[in-house]
Amino acid sequence: MPLVEVNDVTKQYASGEETIRPLDGVSLSVEKGDFVSLMGASGSGKSTLLNLIAGIDRVTSGQIVVDGVDTTKLSRGKLADWRAEHIGYVFQTHNLVPVLTAYENVELPLLLLPMSAAERRKRVGIALEAVDLTPRASHYPRQMSGGQEQRVGIARAIVANPTLIVADEPTGSLDDETTEQILSLLERVNSELGMTLLLVTHDAQAGARARRRVRLERGRLVENRTQAPAPLRTA
Amino acid sequence: MRKFAPYVLKSLWRHRARTVLTVSGTAVALLVFCFIGSVQRGLARLTSSEEADRTLIVFQESRFCPQSSRLPQDYARTIADTPGVSDVIPIKVFTNNCRASLDAIVFQGMAAHKLEAWRDLTLTSGDWSAYEGQDDAALVGEAVANRRGLAAGDKFTIGGVSVVVRGVFHSPVAADNNLIYTHLDFLQRARGADGVGTVTLHEVKLTDGADPDAVAKRLDQAFESGPVATTTRTKGMYQADTLADLAELIGFVHWLGYACVGLVLSLVATTTVMSVQDRIKEHAVLQTLGLRPQRVFSLVVLESLVLSTLGGVLGVAASALLLAGAGMSIAAEGVTIAFEPSAMLALQGLLVAVAVGLVAGLAPGWQAARMEIVAALRHA
Repeated sequence: MPLVEVNDVTKQYASGEETIRPLDGVSLSVEKGDFVSLMGASGSGKSTLLNLIAGIDRVTSGQIVVDGVDTTKLSRGKLADWRAEHIGYVFQTHNLVPVLTAYENVELPLLLLPMSAAERRKRVGIALEAVDLTPRASHYPRQMSGGQEQRVGIARAIVANPTLIVADEPTGSLDDETTEQILSLLERVNSELGMTLLLVTHDAQAGARARRRVRLERGRLVENRTQAPAPLRTA
Repeated sequence: MRKFAPYVLKSLWRHRARTVLTVSGTAVALLVFCFIGSVQRGLARLTSSEEADRTLIVFQESRFCPQSSRLPQDYARTIADTPGVSDVIPIKVFTNNCRASLDAIVFQGMAAHKLEAWRDLTLTSGDWSAYEGQDDAALVGEAVANRRGLAAGDKFTIGGVSVVVRGVFHSPVAADNNLIYTHLDFLQRARGADGVGTVTLHEVKLTDGADPDAVAKRLDQAFESGPVATTTRTKGMYQADTLADLAELIGFVHWLGYACVGLVLSLVATTTVMSVQDRIKEHAVLQTLGLRPQRVFSLVVLESLVLSTLGGVLGVAASALLLAGAGMSIAAEGVTIAFEPSAMLALQGLLVAVAVGLVAGLAPGWQAARMEIVAALRHA
């Protein structure tokens, strides 16, 4: 049984008198442990699809089932609880909380789960270690580079050991070298930690790193194929 | 929510200037609120205590300022013989200012044995026998002593009355701490010989079960045909009548207390709204991570609560220190209202601050909780 099942999902909203339909009858399934890139031009609906799967947006019609839970049926509060437990979200612009240190930012998702302080400390330590930022634990976002901030963002996404990691253009604001580091890190998250990864990107090279590539055009799925992942490069 | 307390505190600390301004504004408003409350309490204590209901004041008819009431001292004998009267205290009152004033000095001259019997005074410095044995001695209330920097052994002159301080006293009746007691015959002679044999008022203590109105009526009837007609009222009524203008003003001022509450509400609400608008994206990120909308709402309300409560604590503490230390009072026509701080007033101030903090956070909290996550994440 696939981990993620997207069944005939449509998203539309009104903009003045015009009806915008960023997604139009999209169906997709993602297996557990898979690494899928969602690609397409700006406005193709790839981020909308990602947000719907992540449970931060609502479908107009259709059904999304993640790990056996139909998320389209959940109330706002229940959906938030579900996200806390099942989704790790990596943003394009890091979106760290500026008043919190790297440690505290990574700890945030754990505060929502029933967990002792000792367990939280242990998990945050492991997550920061995984992104090689242990020495920066007490630093604030303003004291870190863009790449370091994004690594903290990845640590925050993986710390609760979620069912699914979603990353929306995580390298969109980074230079080439840092992009490579972040992509390698995400690949390790998928291959070493076994976490299912959905990556939205418009960068063909980044998309080529995934095992499966899904392409959207004007809200419709036009390509869905498994590919041999590009060789891992050393930064 | 406790786990998120550091986030709330750090968020407030991040905008230090805004936080400090809001907290200090709230503190000032709560300070004013407590000042108003303290003067209202002082007035209420003067006019509605048990002593105020069971004590009569015999005053010259149609006179208000103590300087203008001149009753024969020997009225005391007639009063003492009246049924329902247990004791009578002839009192000469002198004040340096008959109008409403924040620094009026009020002397009360009465026989030392009556003072000892009827006023619950504790000497905090000085010596009772020294007072008793010296003609121009004075016992000074601690509020006056604080305000004027007086101590036992000091000599001072106010309004032509020169006395030597032989003791500083504390009274559980806050208004009494603003009085200066002297010997009756001294105060009668202090401003010339024409005061000898006359007093400003007679304070009448009633027997248990005596009807104050009936006794008052009997006394006024007894002196109706005498050299000076009298008006007799309970002490509470006398003080309320004497302070009528001031009481009206204080009654009006209590609206300023409500205005202070409104001020705190708008101040804290404005700051919280600004804080929420600054952090639209941040709240969306928190919700993406899994914070329920209700929890985001609670975080915003908690921020507002911290701001308001912190201001409240500072304002209430500052007012308590000022009121306790400065011994402030307002007097008119020889009657003094003490600005009376109390634990109840402090608690009331804190509760107001907490309640206002909660209310001020409602609308911004709702705004933060109801936003659409995806739209908010696009917010610059």
